[in-house]
Amino acid sequence: MYRYDEFDHAFVSARVEQFKDQVERRLAGELTEEQFRPLRLMNGVYLQLHAYMLRVAIPYGTLSSRQMRKLAHIARHYDRGYGHFTTRQNLQYNWPALADMPKVLDELASVEMHALQTSGNCIRNVTADHFAGAAADEVADPRPYAEILRQWSSMHPEFSYLPRKFKIAVTGAERDRAAIQVHDIGLQLKKNEAGELGFAVYVGGGQGRTPMVAKKVRDFLPVEDLLTYTTAIVRVYNLNGRRDNKYKARIKILVHETGTEEIIRQIEAEWEAIRDTDLKMPQRDIDAIDEYFRAPNLAQRPEGWSKLASERKADPAFARWVDQNVTPHKNPDYGVVTISLKPIGGIPGDATDAQMDLVAEIAEKFSQDEIRVSHEQNLVLPHVAIADLRIVYDLLLTDGLATANAGLITDIIACPGLDYCALANARSIPVAQRISERFGSPERQSDIGELKIKISGCINACGHHHVGHIGILGVEKKGEELYQISLGGSGDEICTIGDITGRGFSSEEIVDAVETIVDRYLEIRADKEESFLATYRRLGAAPFKNALYGETANAA
Amino acid sequence: MTETTEQAKEGLWGREGFREDPYVTAESLEDAGDAAAVILPLAAWLALPEDVRFDTNRKIGVSIAPGEKIDPLLPSLDRIPLIALQFPAFNDGRSYSKAELLKSQHNFKGELRAVGDVLIDQVAYMLRTGFDTLKVAHAVTLSRLAAHNLHDAPVYYQPGRGSHTVPGAYSWRRIPGA
Ligand code: HEM
Ligand code: SF4
Repeated sequence: MYRYDEFDHAFVSARVEQFKDQVERRLAGELTEEQFRPLRLMNGVYLQLHAYMLRVAIPYGTLSSRQMRKLAHIARHYDRGYGHFTTRQNLQYNWPALADMPKVLDELASVEMHALQTSGNCIRNVTADHFAGAAADEVADPRPYAEILRQWSSMHPEFSYLPRKFKIAVTGAERDRAAIQVHDIGLQLKKNEAGELGFAVYVGGGQGRTPMVAKKVRDFLPVEDLLTYTTAIVRVYNLNGRRDNKYKARIKILVHETGTEEIIRQIEAEWEAIRDTDLKMPQRDIDAIDEYFRAPNLAQRPEGWSKLASERKADPAFARWVDQNVTPHKNPDYGVVTISLKPIGGIPGDATDAQMDLVAEIAEKFSQDEIRVSHEQNLVLPHVAIADLRIVYDLLLTDGLATANAGLITDIIACPGLDYCALANARSIPVAQRISERFGSPERQSDIGELKIKISGCINACGHHHVGHIGILGVEKKGEELYQISLGGSGDEICTIGDITGRGFSSEEIVDAVETIVDRYLEIRADKEESFLATYRRLGAAPFKNALYGETANAA
Repeated sequence: MTETTEQAKEGLWGREGFREDPYVTAESLEDAGDAAAVILPLAAWLALPEDVRFDTNRKIGVSIAPGEKIDPLLPSLDRIPLIALQFPAFNDGRSYSKAELLKSQHNFKGELRAVGDVLIDQVAYMLRTGFDTLKVAHAVTLSRLAAHNLHDAPVYYQPGRGSHTVPGAYSWRRIPGA
């Protein structure tokens, strides 16, 4: 894992001192709320429906046990005993007091954490594949590059007042678990024919009110050019992105209005001028950061597989959890464990202080002291020996953390919605809870198979509904909360924006509507192997619209 | 609280502190009277005949709004004594990129000035992207600058100008323990 040196420590504590001063100036009335706003936003402080909210950065979703314990401690002492893991691999506290914020930031700094650039119109916390460094299918670990980007973008003098927020995601495998094509910049590590490492570069993806899949602007960018090329992209955006309308200010709109070819021309021209400057990275720079992410020395544990076979036979619930929540590791004696934060009927992404402490303890003993936060609002133990799965499962079970539903219909992403958010049209969390209850039976879920439901309380799409296999969006029509359904979205390597089915459903109807769609899928799938998404892609929206609205309504 | 109640008046600040501003800002040369140094808006500057624009008896600087491009200046950068980049709102960051381009890519040697709604928290960024002087109206910024309280960070991750320019002393290239 990355460890701060004196440099990072000096940087973060200076930022905390600055923010203390800014909070004091605000409390003393020297700064108006309008002037304070961009400053607090740069420190992760939002003003919400009920209170200020603090968003803590978890760079590329990687945490040590010590850091997780600190997050638990903050939840206990400064919040109401829980935190909310978000789709941006961050942690959100919903209830801290403004006057406590500097203290909380001090606490975070003591474990090499901060809340910098988790909001505001700057380059945000860089996200990465949550299985990075562990997944069997990866070309290279994306985290060193995410870390380099984090450092380069921190308090960037030129890029701290962009037209709008700017999000970068990096993945190291063909299989995209970081949704890179719905980011402002998406980077996919790959090797060229000569075996050299580089990136496919995507620009201009995003969700929100105008969802767009990113355009590939370069098929192969050598790793040494990462920062010069990124600088060129962000500079073109900073100079030319729209500032007249906040809804048209993201880079996706600039790319769309300028045209892909022209934007590529502008980026390349800017890059030519700076490609050999100080920001070009010699291999030794990359090696220095790589060193921090060296794979842990994992002991051989070949006894695991026979042990697992008998444990599975003895306990079908355990077997189900292994099937659903354990993914192949680079090392065959190990597995990657997904800890579901989606208990049946629970609030997606919430964890109590006690649960955080428990996860920290398990990670320390059984996962090389490492934890990941996934963009699907779950936690991940990246390096668990197959031989230890049973004991890890038993420990998780003690505090409701062993739900066997990773990737299934109850593994729902939901934004905070009207329960917390000042911008919401509708509630998201209660809808997620009711769907989860409806489909909660293990047999039914496993029969349905992979199905991603994603819910947003308004068109900002924090809940990723555009890329949900089934997406649900809260809208307001004539004072009534309605839920619009979209189908066939996907945030992985074959990225698509879902299609809206038609008129929305009331809060009472929405769960039935989801069930109607799922039942239709079960009737028409080719066989049990054909997932919901595959079926939708084969047959299109018509069978589902018919099921929802009737044959005639659909024909009309 | 004296800071906010104090009458805000503009001041010109550079690294050595506050100084007299020799320039007069005017909409046109006629408006400037016989001032020896004038800052004109881009359109007015472009409208001047070449011999007036680059008159050696008089300093004529150019002011660029966020929405205007610096391209028209590029062919004659070595003859322009001052470029003022405007910050009419603190959250419009286009002028930072222009500063960077002018200083790093196009080697502008004249005075690069930031004008407008300058918050103290932005001063360090301005210096790092290459501004030489700041024309400040914000009362708190004025008083903090007067007290030499720059709100600068002790270290930076990126290469840049401003208060820390030690080569190699940034980001991944810093050598731990060295
Ligand atoms: C409760 C307070 C929140 C507010 C006020 C808020 C506000 C917004 C706004 C205004 C946008 C639209 C930006 C744009 O399209 O330009 C947005 C997008 C987004 N937010 Fe939030 N958000 C909140 C919470 C969250 C949470 C908890 C998450 C993670 C679960 C999140 C993740 C995202 C993502 C992933 C996007 C869309 C992707 C994109 O940027 O295109 N937000 N948010
Ligand atoms: S999608 Fe809308 S309702 Fe949900 S958190 Fe984002 S801004 Fe709030």
